Amino acid sequence: MSSNKLTIALSKGRMQEDALAMFARAGIVVDESELNSRKLIIDSRDGQYSFVLVKPGDVPTYVEYGVADAGICGHDVLLESCAGVHEPLDLKFGRCRIAVAARREVVGKPYNLLATVRVATKYPRIATQYFHAKGVPIEVINLSGSVELAPLLGLSDRIVDLVETGRTLKENGLEVIEEITESTARLIVNRASFHLKRDAVRALISQLTEILEKE
Amino acid sequence: MSSLTKIPAGVQYFFDEEVKLRRHVERRAMEIFAGWSYDEIILPMFDYHDLFARGMGDEKAERTYRFVDRDGALLALRPELTSLVARTVATRFKRKPRPVRLCYSGEVFRYDEPTERAAREFYQLGVEHIGQPDIVADIEVLLVAAEVLSSLGLRGFRIALSHVDFFNGVADFLTLDAGRRAELRELIDRRNSLALDRFLQAHAAQIEPARRAGFSRLIQLAGKEDAIQRAREILLNQRSREAIDHLARIYATLTELGLAENFDIDLGDTGGLEYYTGLTFKVYVPHWGVEIGGGGRYDNLIGNFGEAEPAVGFSFALDGLVGAVARNASPPPELGANGAPPVSCEGDLANAFRQARGLREQEKRVKIRVQQ
Repeated sequence: MSSNKLTIALSKGRMQEDALAMFARAGIVVDESELNSRKLIIDSRDGQYSFVLVKPGDVPTYVEYGVADAGICGHDVLLESCAGVHEPLDLKFGRCRIAVAARREVVGKPYNLLATVRVATKYPRIATQYFHAKGVPIEVINLSGSVELAPLLGLSDRIVDLVETGRTLKENGLEVIEEITESTARLIVNRASFHLKRDAVRALISQLTEILEKE
Repeated sequence: MSSLTKIPAGVQYFFDEEVKLRRHVERRAMEIFAGWSYDEIILPMFDYHDLFARGMGDEKAERTYRFVDRDGALLALRPELTSLVARTVATRFKRKPRPVRLCYSGEVFRYDEPTERAAREFYQLGVEHIGQPDIVADIEVLLVAAEVLSSLGLRGFRIALSHVDFFNGVADFLTLDAGRRAELRELIDRRNSLALDRFLQAHAAQIEPARRAGFSRLIQLAGKEDAIQRAREILLNQRSREAIDHLARIYATLTELGLAENFDIDLGDTGGLEYYTGLTFKVYVPHWGVEIGGGGRYDNLIGNFGEAEPAVGFSFALDGLVGAVARNASPPPELGANGAPPVSCEGDLANAFRQARGLREQEKRVKIRVQQ
Protein backbone atom coordinates (compact mmCIF):
# COMPACT_ATOMS: atom_id res chain seq x y z
CA MET A 1 0.00 0.00 0.00
CA SER A 2 1.37 3.38 -0.89
CA SER A 3 1.83 5.98 1.81
CA ASN A 4 -0.75 8.64 2.40
CA LYS A 5 1.66 11.52 1.95
CA LEU A 6 0.58 13.67 -0.98
CA THR A 7 2.92 15.22 -3.51
CA ILE A 8 1.58 18.47 -4.95
CA ALA A 9 2.96 20.23 -8.01
CA LEU A 10 2.83 24.04 -7.90
CA SER A 11 3.37 26.58 -10.66
CA LYS A 12 6.47 28.60 -9.83
CA GLY A 13 5.97 32.33 -9.45
CA ARG A 14 2.93 34.25 -8.33
CA MET A 15 0.55 31.36 -8.41
CA GLN A 16 2.88 29.47 -6.08
CA GLU A 17 2.65 32.27 -3.51
CA ASP A 18 -1.13 32.45 -3.72
CA ALA A 19 -1.39 28.68 -3.52
CA LEU A 20 0.89 28.39 -0.50
CA ALA A 21 -1.03 31.22 1.19
CA MET A 22 -4.23 29.25 0.67
CA PHE A 23 -2.65 26.08 2.00
CA ALA A 24 -1.45 28.02 5.04
CA ARG A 25 -5.02 29.17 5.71
CA ALA A 26 -6.02 25.51 5.53
CA GLY A 27 -3.39 24.71 8.16
CA ILE A 28 -0.85 23.26 5.74
CA VAL A 29 2.21 25.31 6.48
CA VAL A 30 5.56 25.43 4.73
CA ASP A 31 8.40 26.94 6.75
CA GLU A 32 9.98 30.11 5.46
CA SER A 33 13.43 28.52 5.61
CA GLU A 34 12.29 25.77 3.22
CA LEU A 35 10.85 28.35 0.85
CA ASN A 36 14.01 30.42 0.84
CA SER A 37 16.16 27.41 0.11
CA ARG A 38 16.85 26.41 -3.45
CA LYS A 39 15.20 23.05 -3.03
CA LEU A 40 12.79 22.01 -5.75
CA ILE A 41 10.95 19.65 -3.43
CA ILE A 42 9.85 21.07 -0.10
CA ASP A 43 7.87 19.50 2.71
CA SER A 44 5.07 20.93 4.77
CA ARG A 45 5.78 21.36 8.46
CA ASP A 46 3.62 18.37 9.41
CA GLY A 47 5.33 16.18 6.81
CA GLN A 48 1.98 15.24 5.23
CA TYR A 49 2.60 17.11 1.98
CA SER A 50 5.52 17.59 -0.31
CA PHE A 51 5.46 20.37 -2.83
CA VAL A 52 7.32 20.30 -6.11
CA LEU A 53 7.90 23.62 -7.80
CA VAL A 54 7.75 23.44 -11.57
CA LYS A 55 7.11 25.65 -14.59
CA PRO A 56 3.38 26.42 -14.91
CA GLY A 57 2.96 24.54 -18.16
CA ASP A 58 4.48 21.42 -16.63
CA VAL A 59 2.06 21.05 -13.72
CA PRO A 60 -0.54 19.00 -15.67
CA THR A 61 2.21 16.70 -16.94
CA TYR A 62 3.50 15.90 -13.46
CA VAL A 63 -0.03 15.20 -12.29
CA GLU A 64 -1.14 13.23 -15.34
CA TYR A 65 1.82 10.89 -15.00
CA GLY A 66 1.15 10.54 -11.29
CA VAL A 67 4.56 11.64 -10.04
CA ALA A 68 2.57 14.36 -8.30
CA ASP A 69 -0.76 13.28 -6.81
CA ALA A 70 -2.24 16.74 -7.19
CA GLY A 71 -1.33 20.13 -8.52
CA ILE A 72 -2.37 23.74 -8.78
CA CYS A 73 -2.27 25.53 -12.10
CA GLY A 74 -4.28 27.92 -14.21
CA HIS A 75 -7.29 26.80 -16.23
CA ASP A 76 -5.50 28.20 -19.29
CA VAL A 77 -2.67 25.73 -18.81
CA LEU A 78 -5.15 22.87 -18.46
CA LEU A 79 -6.97 23.81 -21.65
CA GLU A 80 -3.72 23.91 -23.52
CA SER A 81 -2.40 20.63 -22.15
CA CYS A 82 -5.55 18.47 -22.47
CA ALA A 83 -4.16 16.37 -19.61
CA GLY A 84 -6.38 13.56 -18.38
CA VAL A 85 -6.75 14.67 -14.77
CA HIS A 86 -9.58 15.38 -12.37
CA GLU A 87 -10.24 19.03 -11.69
CA PRO A 88 -12.26 19.08 -8.48
CA LEU A 89 -11.87 22.70 -7.36
CA ASP A 90 -11.83 26.19 -8.78
CA LEU A 91 -9.61 28.00 -6.28
CA LYS A 92 -10.73 31.44 -7.50
CA PHE A 93 -7.34 33.15 -7.35
CA GLY A 94 -5.03 33.98 -10.27
CA ARG A 95 -7.95 35.32 -12.27
CA CYS A 96 -7.16 36.38 -15.82
CA ARG A 97 -8.54 36.09 -19.35
CA ILE A 98 -7.33 34.42 -22.48
CA ALA A 99 -8.14 36.82 -25.24
CA VAL A 100 -7.62 37.59 -28.88
CA ALA A 101 -5.92 40.93 -29.42
CA ALA A 102 -4.69 42.99 -32.35
CA ARG A 103 -3.23 46.40 -33.16
CA ARG A 104 -5.75 49.08 -32.37
CA GLU A 105 -5.83 50.35 -35.96
CA VAL A 106 -6.89 47.01 -37.44
CA VAL A 107 -9.59 46.11 -34.93
CA GLY A 108 -12.85 45.62 -36.78
CA LYS A 109 -11.12 45.27 -40.12
CA PRO A 110 -10.59 42.05 -42.05
CA TYR A 111 -7.62 40.04 -40.84
CA ASN A 112 -5.53 40.69 -43.92
CA LEU A 113 -5.78 40.33 -47.69
CA LEU A 114 -5.09 36.63 -47.51
CA ALA A 115 -7.41 33.88 -46.39
CA THR A 116 -5.19 32.63 -43.62
CA VAL A 117 -4.83 34.59 -40.40
CA ARG A 118 -1.48 34.56 -38.67
CA VAL A 119 -1.85 34.16 -34.94
CA ALA A 120 1.08 34.43 -32.55
CA THR A 121 0.57 32.70 -29.21
CA LYS A 122 1.86 30.63 -26.34
CA TYR A 123 -1.39 28.67 -26.61
CA PRO A 124 -1.37 26.96 -30.01
CA ARG A 125 -4.10 24.48 -29.13
CA ILE A 126 -6.50 27.02 -27.63
CA ALA A 127 -5.90 29.39 -30.55
CA THR A 128 -6.43 26.72 -33.18
CA GLN A 129 -9.60 25.43 -31.56
CA TYR A 130 -11.01 28.91 -31.18
CA PHE A 131 -10.43 30.05 -34.75
CA HIS A 132 -11.40 26.72 -36.27
CA ALA A 133 -14.67 26.79 -34.36
CA LYS A 134 -15.35 30.08 -36.15
CA GLY A 135 -14.32 28.61 -39.48
CA VAL A 136 -11.28 30.85 -39.81
CA PRO A 137 -8.14 29.16 -41.18
CA ILE A 138 -5.05 30.20 -39.23
CA GLU A 139 -1.33 29.80 -39.24
CA VAL A 140 -0.13 29.50 -35.67
CA ILE A 141 3.14 31.13 -34.80
CA ASN A 142 4.40 29.57 -31.63
CA LEU A 143 6.16 32.00 -29.32
CA SER A 144 7.34 31.44 -25.77
CA GLY A 145 7.15 35.02 -24.51
CA SER A 146 6.61 38.71 -25.37
CA VAL A 147 3.79 37.69 -27.66
CA GLU A 148 2.65 41.36 -27.85
CA LEU A 149 5.63 42.05 -30.01
CA ALA A 150 4.41 39.91 -32.90
CA PRO A 151 1.71 42.23 -34.32
CA LEU A 152 3.88 45.30 -33.77
CA LEU A 153 6.60 43.91 -35.98
CA GLY A 154 4.17 42.46 -38.48
CA LEU A 155 4.88 38.87 -37.54
CA SER A 156 1.19 38.18 -36.95
CA ASP A 157 -2.28 39.66 -37.50
CA ARG A 158 -3.60 38.58 -34.14
CA ILE A 159 -2.34 37.29 -30.83
CA VAL A 160 -3.98 34.90 -28.38
CA ASP A 161 -2.61 35.58 -24.94
CA LEU A 162 -3.25 35.87 -21.24
CA VAL A 163 -4.59 39.24 -20.18
CA GLU A 164 -4.54 40.24 -16.52
CA THR A 165 -4.97 44.01 -16.35
CA GLY A 166 -4.58 44.77 -20.06
CA ARG A 167 -1.85 47.31 -19.36
CA THR A 168 0.86 45.64 -21.42
CA LEU A 169 -1.53 45.47 -24.35
CA LYS A 170 -2.51 49.11 -24.03
CA GLU A 171 1.01 50.41 -23.74
CA ASN A 172 1.88 48.59 -26.92
CA GLY A 173 -1.07 49.89 -28.89
CA LEU A 174 -2.98 46.62 -28.80
CA GLU A 175 -6.61 46.02 -28.00
CA VAL A 176 -8.62 43.00 -26.89
CA ILE A 177 -11.02 41.92 -29.63
CA GLU A 178 -12.63 38.98 -27.98
CA GLU A 179 -12.34 37.03 -24.78
CA ILE A 180 -11.92 33.30 -25.37
CA THR A 181 -12.27 32.19 -21.79
CA GLU A 182 -11.63 33.23 -18.26
CA SER A 183 -9.00 31.43 -16.24
CA THR A 184 -8.49 30.88 -12.53
CA ALA A 185 -6.29 28.57 -10.50
CA ARG A 186 -7.55 24.98 -10.29
CA LEU A 187 -6.79 22.05 -8.06
CA ILE A 188 -6.10 19.03 -10.23
CA VAL A 189 -5.79 15.43 -9.08
CA ASN A 190 -4.22 12.38 -10.68
CA ARG A 191 -6.79 9.76 -11.64
CA ALA A 192 -4.98 6.89 -9.96
CA SER A 193 -4.15 8.83 -6.79
CA PHE A 194 -7.82 9.71 -6.54
CA HIS A 195 -8.39 6.03 -5.74
CA LEU A 196 -5.10 4.85 -4.29
CA LYS A 197 -4.70 7.74 -1.83
CA ARG A 198 -8.39 8.36 -1.40
CA ASP A 199 -8.40 9.47 2.22
CA ALA A 200 -5.60 11.97 1.79
CA VAL A 201 -7.09 13.39 -1.42
CA ARG A 202 -10.50 13.63 0.20
CA ALA A 203 -9.01 15.46 3.19
CA LEU A 204 -7.21 17.93 0.93
CA ILE A 205 -10.33 18.68 -1.12
CA SER A 206 -12.48 19.21 1.92
CA GLN A 207 -9.91 21.44 3.65
CA LEU A 208 -9.65 23.65 0.59
CA THR A 209 -13.41 23.62 0.06
CA GLU A 210 -13.85 24.90 3.58
CA ILE A 211 -11.49 27.82 2.90
CA LEU A 212 -13.31 28.62 -0.35
CA GLU A 213 -16.68 28.61 1.36
CA LYS A 214 -15.40 30.97 4.06
CA GLU A 215 -14.10 33.50 1.56
CA MET B 1 16.85 12.89 -40.99
CA SER B 2 18.28 9.46 -41.50
CA SER B 3 15.72 6.69 -41.60
CA LEU B 4 18.31 4.59 -39.75
CA THR B 5 17.94 6.57 -36.55
CA LYS B 6 14.45 7.98 -36.81
CA ILE B 7 11.57 5.96 -35.40
CA PRO B 8 7.92 6.78 -36.23
CA ALA B 9 6.08 8.51 -33.38
CA GLY B 10 4.42 6.17 -30.93
CA VAL B 11 6.05 2.86 -31.81
CA GLN B 12 8.50 1.03 -29.58
CA TYR B 13 11.36 -1.44 -29.66
CA PHE B 14 11.91 -3.73 -26.68
CA PHE B 15 15.02 -5.66 -25.80
CA ASP B 16 17.09 -7.24 -23.02
CA GLU B 17 15.48 -7.58 -19.59
CA GLU B 18 12.36 -5.71 -20.62
CA VAL B 19 11.47 -8.35 -23.18
CA LYS B 20 11.80 -11.06 -20.55
CA LEU B 21 9.61 -9.09 -18.18
CA ARG B 22 6.97 -8.45 -20.85
CA ARG B 23 6.84 -12.08 -21.86
CA HIS B 24 6.68 -13.16 -18.25
CA VAL B 25 3.74 -10.86 -17.52
CA GLU B 26 1.95 -11.91 -20.69
CA ARG B 27 2.47 -15.61 -19.96
CA ARG B 28 1.27 -15.23 -16.39
CA ALA B 29 -1.90 -13.42 -17.45
CA MET B 30 -2.68 -15.91 -20.21
CA GLU B 31 -2.16 -18.82 -17.78
CA ILE B 32 -4.66 -17.25 -15.42
CA PHE B 33 -7.17 -16.68 -18.22
CA ALA B 34 -6.77 -20.33 -19.20
CA GLY B 35 -7.14 -21.31 -15.56
CA TRP B 36 -10.63 -19.76 -15.58
CA SER B 37 -11.46 -21.65 -18.79
CA TYR B 38 -10.96 -18.83 -21.26
CA ASP B 39 -9.78 -20.17 -24.61
CA GLU B 40 -7.29 -18.12 -26.53
CA ILE B 41 -8.37 -16.65 -29.84
CA ILE B 42 -5.82 -15.37 -32.35
CA LEU B 43 -7.12 -12.48 -34.40
CA PRO B 44 -6.01 -10.84 -37.65
CA MET B 45 -3.82 -7.75 -37.52
CA PHE B 46 -6.13 -5.88 -39.90
CA ASP B 47 -9.69 -6.16 -41.11
CA TYR B 48 -12.26 -4.04 -42.93
CA HIS B 49 -12.55 -0.54 -41.55
CA ASP B 50 -16.31 -0.97 -41.65
CA LEU B 51 -16.12 -3.77 -39.09
CA PHE B 52 -14.47 -1.51 -36.51
CA ALA B 53 -16.87 1.33 -37.30
CA ARG B 54 -19.77 -1.07 -36.73
CA GLY B 55 -18.26 -2.27 -33.45
CA MET B 56 -16.93 0.86 -31.82
CA GLY B 57 -18.74 3.63 -33.65
CA ASP B 58 -17.52 5.94 -36.39
CA GLU B 59 -15.74 8.30 -34.07
CA LYS B 60 -13.41 5.68 -32.65
CA ALA B 61 -12.90 4.04 -36.02
CA GLU B 62 -11.67 7.45 -37.20
CA ARG B 63 -8.57 6.91 -35.11
CA THR B 64 -7.43 3.87 -37.03
CA TYR B 65 -4.53 3.55 -39.42
CA ARG B 66 -6.23 2.89 -42.73
CA PHE B 67 -5.13 1.59 -46.06
CA VAL B 68 -6.67 0.25 -49.22
CA ASP B 69 -6.90 -3.39 -50.25
CA ARG B 70 -6.01 -4.47 -53.78
CA ASP B 71 -9.72 -4.44 -54.68
CA GLY B 72 -10.17 -0.93 -53.32
CA ALA B 73 -11.85 -1.88 -50.04
CA LEU B 74 -10.88 0.18 -47.01
CA LEU B 75 -8.90 -1.74 -44.41
CA ALA B 76 -7.74 -0.73 -40.94
CA LEU B 77 -5.06 -1.95 -38.57
CA ARG B 78 -7.01 -3.27 -35.62
CA PRO B 79 -7.63 -0.45 -33.10
CA GLU B 80 -9.07 -2.89 -30.54
CA LEU B 81 -9.79 -6.58 -30.32
CA THR B 82 -13.30 -6.77 -28.92
CA SER B 83 -15.04 -6.01 -32.24
CA LEU B 84 -13.10 -8.83 -33.90
CA VAL B 85 -14.10 -11.21 -31.10
CA ALA B 86 -17.72 -10.04 -31.21
CA ARG B 87 -18.00 -10.58 -34.96
CA THR B 88 -16.47 -14.04 -34.66
CA VAL B 89 -18.82 -15.05 -31.88
CA ALA B 90 -21.88 -13.68 -33.70
CA THR B 91 -21.04 -15.55 -36.91
CA ARG B 92 -18.69 -18.50 -36.51
CA PHE B 93 -19.62 -19.41 -32.92
CA LYS B 94 -23.38 -19.34 -33.49
CA ARG B 95 -23.88 -22.98 -32.58
CA LYS B 96 -21.46 -23.21 -29.67
CA PRO B 97 -22.97 -23.55 -26.21
CA ARG B 98 -23.10 -20.40 -24.10
CA PRO B 99 -21.41 -18.82 -22.33
CA VAL B 100 -18.41 -18.49 -24.62
CA ARG B 101 -15.21 -17.57 -22.80
CA LEU B 102 -12.38 -16.17 -24.92
CA CYS B 103 -9.08 -14.48 -24.19
CA TYR B 104 -6.53 -12.74 -26.37
CA SER B 105 -3.19 -11.00 -26.32
CA GLY B 106 -1.85 -8.76 -29.04
CA GLU B 107 -1.06 -5.32 -30.43
CA VAL B 108 -3.64 -2.74 -31.35
CA PHE B 109 -2.95 0.46 -33.26
CA ARG B 110 -4.60 3.78 -32.62
CA TYR B 111 -3.91 7.32 -33.53
CA ASP B 112 -5.01 9.22 -30.43
CA GLU B 113 -5.16 12.95 -30.73
CA PRO B 114 -4.23 15.27 -29.23
CA THR B 115 -1.36 13.92 -27.16
CA GLU B 116 1.60 13.79 -29.50
CA ARG B 117 3.62 11.93 -26.91
CA ALA B 118 1.08 9.12 -26.70
CA ALA B 119 1.82 5.66 -27.95
CA ARG B 120 0.23 4.56 -31.22
CA GLU B 121 0.83 0.89 -30.65
CA PHE B 122 -0.52 -0.85 -27.58
CA TYR B 123 -0.30 -4.42 -26.46
CA GLN B 124 -3.49 -5.64 -24.83
CA LEU B 125 -4.40 -8.71 -22.82
CA GLY B 126 -8.01 -9.41 -22.18
CA VAL B 127 -11.02 -11.66 -21.85
CA GLU B 128 -14.57 -11.62 -23.20
CA HIS B 129 -17.37 -13.56 -21.50
CA ILE B 130 -20.31 -13.85 -23.87
CA GLY B 131 -23.85 -15.14 -23.55
CA GLN B 132 -24.53 -14.75 -19.86
CA PRO B 133 -26.50 -11.70 -18.77
CA ASP B 134 -26.22 -11.88 -15.02
CA ILE B 135 -24.13 -10.84 -12.09
CA VAL B 136 -22.32 -14.18 -12.05
CA ALA B 137 -20.41 -13.29 -15.21
CA ASP B 138 -19.70 -9.76 -13.91
CA ILE B 139 -18.15 -11.11 -10.74
CA GLU B 140 -16.25 -13.80 -12.60
CA VAL B 141 -14.39 -11.35 -14.82
CA LEU B 142 -13.61 -9.11 -11.84
CA LEU B 143 -12.04 -12.06 -10.05
CA VAL B 144 -10.01 -13.01 -13.11
CA ALA B 145 -8.66 -9.45 -13.33
CA ALA B 146 -7.89 -9.40 -9.62
CA GLU B 147 -6.04 -12.72 -9.82
CA VAL B 148 -3.81 -11.45 -12.62
CA LEU B 149 -2.87 -8.42 -10.52
CA SER B 150 -2.18 -10.29 -7.32
CA SER B 151 -0.31 -13.10 -9.04
CA LEU B 152 2.03 -10.50 -10.51
CA GLY B 153 2.78 -9.28 -7.00
CA LEU B 154 0.89 -6.01 -7.42
CA ARG B 155 -0.43 -5.72 -3.90
CA GLY B 156 -2.26 -2.47 -3.30
CA PHE B 157 -4.07 -2.50 -6.65
CA ARG B 158 -7.48 -0.90 -6.74
CA ILE B 159 -10.36 -1.77 -9.04
CA ALA B 160 -12.93 1.03 -9.12
CA LEU B 161 -16.45 -0.16 -9.96
CA SER B 162 -19.19 1.91 -11.52
CA HIS B 163 -22.40 1.36 -13.45
CA VAL B 164 -23.49 3.37 -16.50
CA ASP B 165 -27.12 3.40 -15.43
CA PHE B 166 -26.33 5.42 -12.38
CA PHE B 167 -25.40 8.39 -14.56
CA ASN B 168 -28.00 7.55 -17.22
CA GLY B 169 -30.68 7.37 -14.55
CA VAL B 170 -29.71 10.77 -13.20
CA ALA B 171 -29.66 12.28 -16.69
CA ASP B 172 -33.08 10.73 -17.47
CA PHE B 173 -34.50 12.12 -14.28
CA LEU B 174 -33.22 15.60 -15.05
CA THR B 175 -34.55 15.34 -18.64
CA LEU B 176 -31.47 17.01 -20.04
CA ASP B 177 -30.87 17.52 -23.74
CA ALA B 178 -27.73 16.10 -25.35
CA GLY B 179 -25.65 19.24 -24.84
CA ARG B 180 -26.52 19.60 -21.15
CA ARG B 181 -25.99 15.89 -20.66
CA ALA B 182 -22.45 16.22 -22.02
CA GLU B 183 -21.87 19.20 -19.74
CA LEU B 184 -23.10 17.25 -16.72
CA ARG B 185 -20.85 14.39 -17.64
CA GLU B 186 -17.83 16.63 -17.91
CA LEU B 187 -18.48 18.21 -14.52
CA ILE B 188 -18.75 14.78 -12.98
CA ASP B 189 -15.56 13.61 -14.64
CA ARG B 190 -13.72 16.66 -13.30
CA ARG B 191 -15.10 15.78 -9.84
CA ASN B 192 -15.99 19.40 -9.39
CA SER B 193 -18.68 19.31 -6.71
CA LEU B 194 -19.19 23.05 -6.42
CA ALA B 195 -19.65 23.52 -10.15
CA LEU B 196 -21.92 20.49 -10.31
CA ASP B 197 -24.08 21.89 -7.55
CA ARG B 198 -24.39 25.19 -9.44
CA PHE B 199 -25.26 23.30 -12.61
CA LEU B 200 -27.99 21.35 -10.84
CA GLN B 201 -29.33 24.50 -9.25
CA ALA B 202 -29.72 26.02 -12.68
CA HIS B 203 -30.99 23.02 -14.60
CA ALA B 204 -32.68 20.85 -12.03
CA ALA B 205 -34.54 23.17 -9.76
CA GLN B 206 -37.04 20.39 -9.06
CA ILE B 207 -34.57 18.50 -6.85
CA GLU B 208 -34.63 19.43 -3.19
CA PRO B 209 -31.38 21.10 -2.02
CA ALA B 210 -30.29 18.36 0.39
CA ARG B 211 -30.50 15.72 -2.29
CA ARG B 212 -28.77 17.96 -4.78
CA ALA B 213 -25.89 18.61 -2.41
CA GLY B 214 -25.69 14.90 -1.68
CA PHE B 215 -25.34 14.10 -5.33
CA SER B 216 -22.72 16.79 -5.82
CA ARG B 217 -20.66 15.43 -2.96
CA LEU B 218 -21.07 11.86 -4.06
CA ILE B 219 -19.08 12.25 -7.25
CA GLN B 220 -16.07 13.43 -5.30
CA LEU B 221 -16.15 10.51 -2.94
CA ALA B 222 -15.25 7.12 -4.20
CA GLY B 223 -15.56 4.67 -1.37
CA LYS B 224 -16.75 1.32 -0.09
CA GLU B 225 -20.18 0.48 1.38
CA ASP B 226 -20.35 4.10 2.50
CA ALA B 227 -20.47 5.17 -1.16
CA ILE B 228 -23.36 2.78 -1.83
CA GLN B 229 -25.13 4.04 1.26
CA ARG B 230 -24.70 7.68 0.23
CA ALA B 231 -25.94 6.87 -3.25
CA ARG B 232 -29.09 5.25 -1.85
CA GLU B 233 -29.89 8.39 0.09
CA ILE B 234 -30.07 10.52 -3.04
CA LEU B 235 -31.40 8.04 -5.58
CA LEU B 236 -33.61 9.67 -8.10
CA ASN B 237 -35.31 6.96 -10.10
CA GLN B 238 -35.68 3.28 -10.86
CA ARG B 239 -32.82 3.13 -13.34
CA SER B 240 -30.27 4.54 -10.89
CA ARG B 241 -31.67 2.40 -8.10
CA GLU B 242 -31.24 -0.80 -10.08
CA ALA B 243 -27.66 0.20 -10.93
CA ILE B 244 -26.85 0.70 -7.26
CA ASP B 245 -28.54 -2.57 -6.28
CA HIS B 246 -26.42 -4.38 -8.83
CA LEU B 247 -23.20 -2.79 -7.57
CA ALA B 248 -24.19 -3.48 -3.97
CA ARG B 249 -24.67 -7.18 -4.70
CA ILE B 250 -21.33 -7.39 -6.47
CA TYR B 251 -19.63 -5.55 -3.66
CA ALA B 252 -21.20 -7.75 -1.00
CA THR B 253 -19.88 -10.86 -2.74
CA LEU B 254 -16.40 -9.37 -3.10
CA THR B 255 -16.49 -8.52 0.61
CA GLU B 256 -17.47 -12.09 1.50
CA LEU B 257 -14.50 -13.27 -0.52
CA GLY B 258 -12.20 -11.01 1.51
CA LEU B 259 -11.46 -8.75 -1.46
CA ALA B 260 -13.10 -5.52 -0.33
CA GLU B 261 -9.74 -3.85 0.22
CA ASN B 262 -8.95 -4.03 -3.49
CA PHE B 263 -12.30 -2.77 -4.76
CA ASP B 264 -13.90 0.68 -4.66
CA ILE B 265 -17.26 2.02 -5.67
CA ASP B 266 -16.77 5.11 -7.80
CA LEU B 267 -20.01 6.62 -9.06
CA GLY B 268 -18.17 9.58 -10.53
CA ASP B 269 -16.75 7.45 -13.32
CA THR B 270 -18.63 8.28 -16.51
CA GLY B 271 -16.22 6.75 -19.01
CA GLY B 272 -17.43 4.57 -21.88
CA LEU B 273 -21.10 5.55 -21.63
CA GLU B 274 -21.59 5.11 -25.38
CA TYR B 275 -20.34 1.57 -25.27
CA TYR B 276 -21.01 -0.04 -21.93
CA THR B 277 -24.46 -1.05 -20.73
CA GLY B 278 -23.97 -2.05 -17.10
CA LEU B 279 -21.04 -2.60 -14.77
CA THR B 280 -17.85 -0.73 -15.68
CA PHE B 281 -14.49 -0.79 -13.94
CA LYS B 282 -11.00 0.65 -14.05
CA VAL B 283 -7.81 -0.74 -12.60
CA TYR B 284 -5.19 1.32 -10.79
CA VAL B 285 -1.88 0.39 -9.16
CA PRO B 286 0.49 2.44 -6.99
CA HIS B 287 3.24 4.39 -8.76
CA TRP B 288 1.55 4.20 -12.13
CA GLY B 289 -0.42 7.37 -12.72
CA VAL B 290 -2.92 6.09 -15.24
CA GLU B 291 -5.35 3.19 -15.27
CA ILE B 292 -3.68 0.00 -16.42
CA GLY B 293 -6.85 -1.71 -17.49
CA GLY B 294 -10.59 -1.69 -17.42
CA GLY B 295 -13.74 -3.21 -18.73
CA GLY B 296 -17.41 -3.73 -18.23
CA ARG B 297 -20.64 -5.08 -19.61
CA TYR B 298 -21.48 -4.33 -23.23
CA ASP B 299 -24.75 -6.01 -24.08
CA ASN B 300 -25.31 -4.02 -27.29
CA LEU B 301 -22.12 -4.75 -29.18
CA ILE B 302 -22.67 -8.26 -30.48
CA GLY B 303 -26.05 -7.29 -31.91
CA ASN B 304 -24.13 -5.13 -34.39
CA PHE B 305 -22.81 -8.30 -35.96
CA GLY B 306 -25.80 -10.65 -35.68
CA GLU B 307 -28.12 -11.73 -32.94
CA ALA B 308 -27.82 -9.60 -29.80
CA GLU B 309 -26.13 -11.29 -26.86
CA PRO B 310 -25.05 -10.11 -23.43
CA ALA B 311 -21.31 -9.84 -22.86
CA VAL B 312 -18.80 -8.64 -20.31
CA GLY B 313 -15.04 -8.35 -20.56
CA PHE B 314 -11.92 -6.38 -19.77
CA SER B 315 -8.45 -5.73 -21.05
CA PHE B 316 -5.13 -4.82 -19.51
CA ALA B 317 -2.56 -2.61 -21.18
CA LEU B 318 0.61 -4.70 -21.16
CA ASP B 319 2.72 -1.51 -20.92
CA GLY B 320 0.85 -0.59 -17.75
CA LEU B 321 1.12 -4.04 -16.21
CA VAL B 322 4.83 -4.27 -17.00
CA GLY B 323 5.51 -0.74 -15.76
CA ALA B 324 3.61 -1.44 -12.57
CA VAL B 325 5.45 -4.72 -11.99
CA ALA B 326 8.80 -3.01 -12.62
CA ARG B 327 7.98 -0.35 -10.03
CA ASN B 328 6.03 -2.29 -7.44
CA ALA B 329 6.92 -5.95 -7.39
CA SER B 330 10.19 -7.77 -6.93
CA PRO B 331 11.27 -9.33 -10.23
CA PRO B 332 10.36 -13.00 -10.58
CA PRO B 333 13.39 -15.25 -9.95
CA GLU B 334 13.57 -16.75 -13.43
CA LEU B 335 14.12 -13.27 -14.86
CA GLY B 336 17.14 -12.56 -12.71
CA ALA B 337 19.36 -15.55 -13.52
CA ASN B 338 17.43 -16.78 -16.55
CA GLY B 339 18.33 -20.38 -15.77
CA ALA B 340 21.84 -21.81 -15.72
CA PRO B 341 24.69 -19.97 -17.46
CA PRO B 342 25.34 -21.30 -20.97
CA VAL B 343 27.99 -23.94 -21.70
CA SER B 344 30.64 -22.63 -24.04
CA CYS B 345 31.34 -24.84 -27.05
CA GLU B 346 34.79 -24.09 -28.38
CA GLY B 347 37.61 -25.61 -30.38
CA ASP B 348 37.46 -27.37 -33.74
CA LEU B 349 34.45 -26.40 -35.91
CA ALA B 350 32.81 -29.83 -36.18
CA ASN B 351 33.66 -30.83 -32.61
CA ALA B 352 32.27 -27.64 -31.14
CA PHE B 353 28.99 -28.06 -32.97
CA ARG B 354 28.85 -31.77 -32.13
CA GLN B 355 29.27 -30.91 -28.46
CA ALA B 356 26.60 -28.23 -28.75
CA ARG B 357 24.12 -30.59 -30.40
CA GLY B 358 24.71 -33.15 -27.68
CA LEU B 359 24.04 -30.58 -24.98
CA ARG B 360 20.95 -29.34 -26.82
CA GLU B 361 19.56 -32.86 -26.84
CA GLN B 362 19.67 -32.59 -23.06
CA GLU B 363 17.99 -29.16 -23.40
CA LYS B 364 21.09 -27.45 -21.96
CA ARG B 365 21.83 -23.84 -22.81
CA VAL B 366 24.82 -23.48 -25.14
CA LYS B 367 26.83 -20.65 -26.64
CA ILE B 368 29.07 -21.18 -29.66
CA ARG B 369 32.52 -19.61 -29.37
CA VAL B 370 34.37 -21.04 -32.36
CA GLN B 371 36.89 -18.64 -33.87
CA GLN B 372 37.80 -19.06 -37.53
